[in-house]
Amino acid sequence: MVIKMVWNREILYINLSTGKISSRTVPKIIRTRYLGGRGVNMYMLFNHLTPKTDPLSPDNVLLVGAGLLAGIPCLGSGRCDIGAKSPLTGAVGDSNIGGFFAPELRFAGFDHIVITGKTSKPVYLLIKNRDIQIKDASHIWGQDTFETQKIIRQDEDDENIKSLVIGAAGENLVKFANVRTGMKNSAGRTGMGCVMGSKNLKAIAVRGTTTLEFTHPDELLEYCKQMNTMITSTRWAKAQSRWGTMIIYSNTNTTGLIRTKNFQLNQLEEGQDLEPENIDKYSIGTSGCYGCAVHCRHRYVLKEGPYAPLYGEGPEYTSLGAFGTMVNCNKMETILVANHLVNKYGVDTLETGGLIAWAMELYEKGIINDKATDGLKLEWGNEEAVYEMIRKITYREGFGNILADGFKAAITKIGSESKYYAIQIKGMSNLHSDERPTPSFALGIATSTRGADHLRSRPAIDMYGLPEELLEEVYGGHVASDYNSYDGKDRMVWWQELLYAVTDSIGVCKFQTVFCAVHAPQWKEFSNLINLTTGLNFSKNQLMEIGERIYTIERLFNSREGFSRKDDNLPERYFKEPTTLGLSAARNKKISMEKFNKMLDGYYKLHSWDSNGVPTRESLKKLDLDHEPSNLV
Amino acid sequence: MRRRLTLQKMLVIDPEKCTGCRLCETACSIHNEKTCEPERARIHITKWENEGIYIPIVCQQCDIPICETVCPMHAVKRDPETHAVIIDSELCVGCRLCVQFCPFGGVGVDDKTKRIIKCDLCNGEPVCVEFCQPEALQYINATTLNMRKRRAAAEKFSEHLKKMLRANY
Amino acid sequence: MNKLSPQSEVRCLNCLKRFTVSPKAETAVCPHCNTKYRISWPTPNQAKVRGLA
Repeated sequence: MVIKMVWNREILYINLSTGKISSRTVPKIIRTRYLGGRGVNMYMLFNHLTPKTDPLSPDNVLLVGAGLLAGIPCLGSGRCDIGAKSPLTGAVGDSNIGGFFAPELRFAGFDHIVITGKTSKPVYLLIKNRDIQIKDASHIWGQDTFETQKIIRQDEDDENIKSLVIGAAGENLVKFANVRTGMKNSAGRTGMGCVMGSKNLKAIAVRGTTTLEFTHPDELLEYCKQMNTMITSTRWAKAQSRWGTMIIYSNTNTTGLIRTKNFQLNQLEEGQDLEPENIDKYSIGTSGCYGCAVHCRHRYVLKEGPYAPLYGEGPEYTSLGAFGTMVNCNKMETILVANHLVNKYGVDTLETGGLIAWAMELYEKGIINDKATDGLKLEWGNEEAVYEMIRKITYREGFGNILADGFKAAITKIGSESKYYAIQIKGMSNLHSDERPTPSFALGIATSTRGADHLRSRPAIDMYGLPEELLEEVYGGHVASDYNSYDGKDRMVWWQELLYAVTDSIGVCKFQTVFCAVHAPQWKEFSNLINLTTGLNFSKNQLMEIGERIYTIERLFNSREGFSRKDDNLPERYFKEPTTLGLSAARNKKISMEKFNKMLDGYYKLHSWDSNGVPTRESLKKLDLDHEPSNLV
Repeated sequence: MRRRLTLQKMLVIDPEKCTGCRLCETACSIHNEKTCEPERARIHITKWENEGIYIPIVCQQCDIPICETVCPMHAVKRDPETHAVIIDSELCVGCRLCVQFCPFGGVGVDDKTKRIIKCDLCNGEPVCVEFCQPEALQYINATTLNMRKRRAAAEKFSEHLKKMLRANY
Repeated sequence: MNKLSPQSEVRCLNCLKRFTVSPKAETAVCPHCNTKYRISWPTPNQAKVRGLA
């Protein structure tokens, strides 16, 4: 069997300091151990950096990686993974982005880009198949993320150029600046846009017309059709196709699982205007990423009001919380405007909203006053203050400059009194979800390798009251059906972490796996897709082992930077303040420290890490990680 | 060029439903070229990304095809079964007059082979339609199309009537 | 009795049991725990909870 596709995609190395450009194919051993996308990025992150590298120095490495299956016609296969050491947390920096960039990169002949160094003047990278140029970007420096992409397309007279870009936030080294493509897609978390900005790299533009070959094209086409049907026939995907991820709000706000006024309440009581159904009056239709049959975001237009006319895409559930419940704003229009602003400036929606909500609580408690906020009334529900803070953070003005460095630095500057109110882990803001009633989610955000984050595991399958026999069948061991229970939730988090590590490495969309639907594609389907696409054979167990290897090398990176069990913790308030609102299963709930610690022990055991959360020698040996760094690519 | 007199299916595009996902392009290229090269697909989504407008462009299988009119080699034929306008590659000399004159962008040049490519309706089972979840692409017969269009127009008309009636109260 | 398609079921967020919703209904009450909901329809055959009634 000739394996065609895999072997002719290359890794492109760019040194911005010297201008040196080189490339090489991805060796088979890297493919079989890490697949592609996030897996290969995390291997390279561990291998290319020495411990304690300054994230904003030229020595940090910016990694761009297309998933192994990027380009196939199913499951939203346009996913691209961006990695670097995070300037926000000092831990693993990694963010996954949809849209159309990854397939275009593959069409140009490359799967990975490794960028080191720094230029003295703003540049952008232009890749047209084998023609690679580092070009002057002085005319696009300062442009927003939408215009930047448009200008590059116009300059090159090619509407099909796809770009990863940064906005003003990345240029100004806001620690949680993101990398964006298209109108909506963002590699939002861990400040990858800040790393890009530190290299003076405004954009990576790509156009590809080479041949992407599959091992079994006819069978693959047929199987992809089945995969699309498999996902679109789930109740979750049907609702998501209609109203996007905002549908999660219907369940979480109704139940009382959504943090409101930073972390004071667990439900927005006057929250009807934020219901996803209300997007209809602004929507001109939905939009999909490459190869996606679900199309989960809206194309919306604001025709009236001070911010009109405005065209935007989304918003995600995340923005409903960031600029809705957390800051106690209850109007859909506020979400639409704020979502547009963060996209335009290129700053992470979730981190921005989390910091503003925190500042509002500090303002309420008198920990900061008008003098600290430059006279801005940071009062709950003040949407104008939210918009202004987004701008001030982006341009590092006044109080915005303090928040622009993220929680860790801001706590130091504002004072230790402020720490208690910060809903962050490892220096990164949590989503607006309230995990006090759901131990599985609580464990997931505590252990995530990139800081408080729901997308490393998002263990949501216990929210549906499913029979325990079914949960056992999926997770390979006992998982309590009751979402308030701690029983088996360590297993659930572990299993989902492995699945998502593989999902991000093959480059399909998490929403189209076991995310909110139990009968969605997972190991077996991934295995079949990999085989039909590349000819490589992986059993379910082998794929799980790859997931474990990827997650463990991320853990190794963090261990090397000094992270351990002490950092896999929840904010103090989770243990102290019980929830007060919502349905009975969500009301009067807090996390038990004792049960949480027991769950954490169980979780480490499942990963074969020691009780301090450090991978053991035996586990490293089993995963072929005992000779890292091995510097293979 | 003779046409069948029985109910004839046609590929119908509704740009308002298109989500821009490029499943049609990808599936088309895999089906026809056995590789993933949307560039060589017979269907393309033209986008105005910053305004959110997506329009699938594909051969309209015209009743009086302009490509046929301009073809000096008489290489443009019609498939008797599917009514698809097809190009006889034996006769085609690659002059690209069809590409130049087609008002819909329905005919293209394959950059790899330098040959003319266009949609042949996949022998009556268009793969793009099978992959189009939002049904922006449909393969339906003319009477169905006419009926739907009339119904949509009638619905608008009835809304208008209702508004007029309400205004009178 | 009318046989409703399984797609017009919703899961009660309070007791997590499924119950059927009449076609096009805008509100529904869980027969198991009596929680009242506002309902919306992502597709003509599939209902979902919109919020509490």
